[in-house]
Formats: sequence, structure tokens, C-alpha cells
Amino acid sequence: MTTSRAYYWMVLPALLLFLVFHTVPVLQGFYYSLTDSPGYGSYGFVGLRNYANLFRDDRILDAYLFTFRFAVVATVLTNALALAVALGLNARIGFRTALRGIFFIPNVLAILIIGYIFNYLFANSLPAIAQALGITALSTNILADPGLAWLGIVAVATWQAAAFNIIIYLAGLQTISDDVREAATIDGAGAWRQFRSIVFPLIAPFFTINMVLSLKNFLQVFDHIVALTNGGPGTATTSVSLLIYSGGLEGGEYAYQTANAVVYFLVIVAVSAFQLRVLQRREMSA
Amino acid sequence: MTRTALLLLTGALLLAACGTRPADTRVTLEFFQFKPEAIETFDRIIEGFEAAHPGIRVVQNHTPTAESAIRARLVKDDVPDVMALNGNGVFGELARAGVFYDFSTAAVRVYPPVQRILDDLGTHRQGERNGLPFASNGSGVIYNKDLFRRHGVRPPATWSELVAAARTFEAAGVTPFYATLADAWTVLPAFNALAANAAPPGFFERREAGQTSFAAAYPPVAGKLRELFGHSQRDRHSRTYEDGNLAFAQGKAAMYLQGSFALPAIAAARPGFEPGTFALPATDDPGGTRLVSGVDVALTLPREPEHPREAMTFIEHLLRPEVMNAYAREQRAVPPLENATSPDPALAGLMPYFTQGRLSGYADHHIPLTIPLEQLLQQFLIDGDQARLLRELDEEWDKVAARSTS
Repeated sequence: MTTSRAYYWMVLPALLLFLVFHTVPVLQGFYYSLTDSPGYGSYGFVGLRNYANLFRDDRILDAYLFTFRFAVVATVLTNALALAVALGLNARIGFRTALRGIFFIPNVLAILIIGYIFNYLFANSLPAIAQALGITALSTNILADPGLAWLGIVAVATWQAAAFNIIIYLAGLQTISDDVREAATIDGAGAWRQFRSIVFPLIAPFFTINMVLSLKNFLQVFDHIVALTNGGPGTATTSVSLLIYSGGLEGGEYAYQTANAVVYFLVIVAVSAFQLRVLQRREMSA
Repeated sequence: MTRTALLLLTGALLLAACGTRPADTRVTLEFFQFKPEAIETFDRIIEGFEAAHPGIRVVQNHTPTAESAIRARLVKDDVPDVMALNGNGVFGELARAGVFYDFSTAAVRVYPPVQRILDDLGTHRQGERNGLPFASNGSGVIYNKDLFRRHGVRPPATWSELVAAARTFEAAGVTPFYATLADAWTVLPAFNALAANAAPPGFFERREAGQTSFAAAYPPVAGKLRELFGHSQRDRHSRTYEDGNLAFAQGKAAMYLQGSFALPAIAAARPGFEPGTFALPATDDPGGTRLVSGVDVALTLPREPEHPREAMTFIEHLLRPEVMNAYAREQRAVPPLENATSPDPALAGLMPYFTQGRLSGYADHHIPLTIPLEQLLQQFLIDGDQARLLRELDEEWDKVAARSTS
């Protein structure tokens, strides 16, 4: 009996902090989304008007389209890259530990700092290199091109996010015992066959968690965009989070964008739940 | 148990120790100001004030993102005692929300043309005065005197002369304008000058009443904006404001479409470099040109000040002509006074507009903040699609209007 009480004492403070700093603000935000508050001063209750207006606003729709396109492409690229690098780092190669450390560095750096460095590279270094090599497609700043800017953001986001996914995949690869692989080799399975039929099915749970976390993180993309394009050129790279921030805190439509945030929260929960179900079912069947 | 008691006791003692400092009988005012480059100037002003008013202590508070900070303070209902804020759209929005003091009955002297610009941003109720101008800026064209002299160009007074000057520089291999469109907001000084001069007067009131539209009234503004930026350097879309200040100081372009607030940064990039200024002429009537001027620093108090008498005393001190002049000299601003003079050679080209009251506020301050004006203009300067720009401005305007009234 005493042990269980000790557990409660450990859990309660955390629960309290969670309620006070997370759940209460969420409920407060939901309340504000039903008002016309600019965030301060007096305000009135407007019911579901903000929600009705959301569906009539093409800027919101544009932001959703951009964010989903970005998130899907970045998730696929990040996981493909991370899995490939993790396989390499799991092989018997020289300087393995050092290389693992190096590949983890992007995860430790702040996204804003990376973003500003890449911003400089895209604005100055890349065009200079491309001009010297005669590649006209890259000889101007791709971040200044409404059609290409999102690819610059994908590149930076993938480079940064792959580091964390590599660590998860490495952990997964290390759970595969050498016996299984040896048996496969003796049976005459080549490298690709081993990966497809043995390695990948065995690390499927790690694949699931990486896919779900990546997509969720990329759907909330914010820092990268602030540092690289600030939503531009024009409004070409305005993600939903950026729109909530700029419209709600800088544009004075606090309540309206809070409604947007509530809807977006539900969308992300739905997407993650759907993804978990599909991928977990695949894990079982594999 | 005893240990807990001991801890509590120590804590209580510490708190008590903090509370019993030697009593300061002075009234402390928190002075919140938004300009990081003016910290030392304000420190000196506060020093002079405290020496003259021994009963009041003023603590300066500044933060790099003042507008977000002040909103956060408003949300917490913790408004600073005295505020110096940029007189922009955010100021108007806050004033309309009724968080600022009403100075309409206060006995302070103001210069009406500048006061009107501030009041036009928005007030809580009709006829209120929610802020007092402390420093003004002028937004026109900054030009390189050397390059103008070398190519025999005089500061243009009409739109045709301006375009001719740009062509002269182009023919001589000199970049006419340095543009920094990677920072979308840097399109606004030129937009505001054109909107103030090339668009029909009273446009925004009529737009609000639904009697006109951007598509009907703004083609000249959009067309001239595209023409101006067409005379800028090739990598205009990937250069930032900082790049521009540096490049202009290095003499890489003849003109720079920026406000007087860029002068300190240009001077910092190359000490000793003395650029000139002129108001952007948007029509061929030289006498009709109005200078776009904003209230760079506006002073205000909370709606219900905690120390009204002391706060007013501090504001009155700040508004003394010698204090305003000293500030303007150090910060390269224009003091919003009748018969204002500025010894600053870089501002000489703008001063006649101030003394004659030929001023106009920033047009973008009339456009709701939630409309992505600068992004739409940036997009327009990339694709040149004028019909689309004007259509989107009208659509955004109607959408926001529908959201805020229905």
C-alpha cells in the first residue's frame, strides 16, 4: 500500500503542472475562439462565427495545401534518407562511432540558427556556385522564387530532421540479432532480399513511430519558415502555424486564428491516429 | 518534519530581508520604449528629468520585439506607466481597443499636421487623442549625392524627371534604385509615397463605404510601383534590408526607396557618407507632392494611470522643445514642432514639407493588419500581374470587413 502511495506522490505534481500549464490554456484558447477578442481589451461572445468564417477564407485553404504538401514530401524524404544512413552506420565501417556522432549534430543545433545559415547559403553561396558551373536553374536565390521556395524549406527540414530519425532507426537495427542475418546469408539471401524480408519487417515499429512523429512535426512547421522565407515570397510558403501566429498575434485577429488553431489541432490528432492505425496494422501483417 | 520547518523559516526570513530595504519614497515610473538604438539618448533625458524632479524615479524598459511585448503586457493587464511606441498600425489598433489615455483635454502643445497623422491611425472614441508625437520620420527617396553630381542629375521634382533620372543612370551603367525585396516590408515606403500622391484622396473612407475599389482607383499606384522596381538591380528579390543599407552606403546605387529611419544604419555602414533626401514625386505637378511622414515615436499613458500626476510631468518634460530637438538630433529624426528645423544635412531635402505642413500619413496603416499587404506587393513585383494584385486586395478587404462586422 505504501509503495502505491509513493507513486501517486511522484505522479501528482506532474499531473498538476500538466493541467495548469497545458490543459487550462487549451481550454482557455477554445473559449477565446468563440469570442471576437483581439487578445486584450474588451470583447464579445460570437458563438461559432469564427469557425464559419474559417471555411470561407482562401488564405487558410492555401496554408493547409502548402503545409500538407510540404509535410508529406518532407516526411517521405526524411525517412528514406534516415533509413539509408542508419543502414550505413550500422554496417561494419571504420570510424563508426565518430560518424554516428557527426550525423546527430543537426539535431542538436537550433532550427532557427540552421535556417539563417541556409538562408545565407541559398541567397549567396548556391547562386555563386551555380553561376560558376553554368547551371541556370539554380543561379538565382531559390527562396526568392514562389514556385521553388518550398523545396528550399524541404531541403533544410529534411537535413535537420533526419538526424533524429537516424538515431531511432539505429536503435531499431541493433535489436536485430546477428543469428537471424547469418541464417539468411546461409540460405543465400542477398543484401536487398535481407533488407526487404528480414530487416525492414523487424524494425517496422520504429518505422511507424518515425513516420508518425515526422509527419506531426512537419505539419507544425514554423521555425524553418521564419528563418528562411517568413512565409514568402508573397504568401507562397505560409504554413498553418505561421498563419496562426502572424494573423493572430501580429494581425490582431487573435480569436479568429485561435479558432484556426483549434481546428488544426483536431486535424493533426486525426491524421496521427489514422497513420498509427494503418501502420500498426501493416506491422502485424508483415 | 523539523527540516521542513527549518526550510520554511529560512524562506520566510529571506523574503522578509528582501522586503525591508531602506525605503525609497520616490514614485517609480516604468518607461517602456521600443527603439533599441535610442537607449542611451533616453538614459540622458531621464537623467536630466530626475535631477529636476527629485520625487520621481524613471526606469527605462526596452525590448527588441516591443510590439509583441506590449501586447503580452496588455493581456496581463500590466501596462507600463509611460510608453513610447512606434506610431504605426499596431498603435492605432491598440488605441481603438481603448487601452491608452485620452489626452484631448491635457494642456500640451501639439503641431496639428503631425498630431492629425497620429489620430488618423485610430482612437478609442471620436475626438479622443490617445498619443502625442515625440519624433517624426519622413519617407521618400535617399540619394547618393556623388553619383547625382557625377552624372549631372538633379533631385527630381516630378514623376517624369524621376523616370528620366533612372534612365540616365541605367544608360551610364549605374543601378538607379537598390531594392531589397527579400524583406517584403521594404516595398512599403515606395508604396506609401505612391498611394499618398497617385491615388485619389479619401480613398480609404470611400473603400470602407463600398463606393470604390482597389481595382478602380489603384492602377496608377501599382503601375508606378512596378516601374520603380523595374529600375532596380537584378538580384532585388534575394536582398534584405541590411544588405540594402550596406550596398547603398558603398555607392552601389544612386537611389534607395527608404524612410529617414534608414539613415542611422547607412551612416553606421560607412561613417562620413552623407546621402541626400527628396520626397518621391508621383505626379507631374511638383507643387502637389506630399511627403509621407509617420510618427516615429509616440508617447502615451495607460487608460487609467497609476501615478497620473508624475507620469504627466514626465511626458511634459519629454515634450519640451529642447528635449525633442536633442532627441531628433541624435536619432536623425524630425521634431514634430511648429517651425521645426533640423541641422541634419541628410534631412534638408525633406524639411520644407514639414514646415509647410505638406504631409501625408502612411497609407498602409489604413489597411487592416491581417491583410498580407506587403506579401501581396512582393508577389506582384515578382509576377507583375496587376489585375491579380488589385483583385486580391479587394477580396481580402471584403473578407476582413465581413469577419469584423457580421
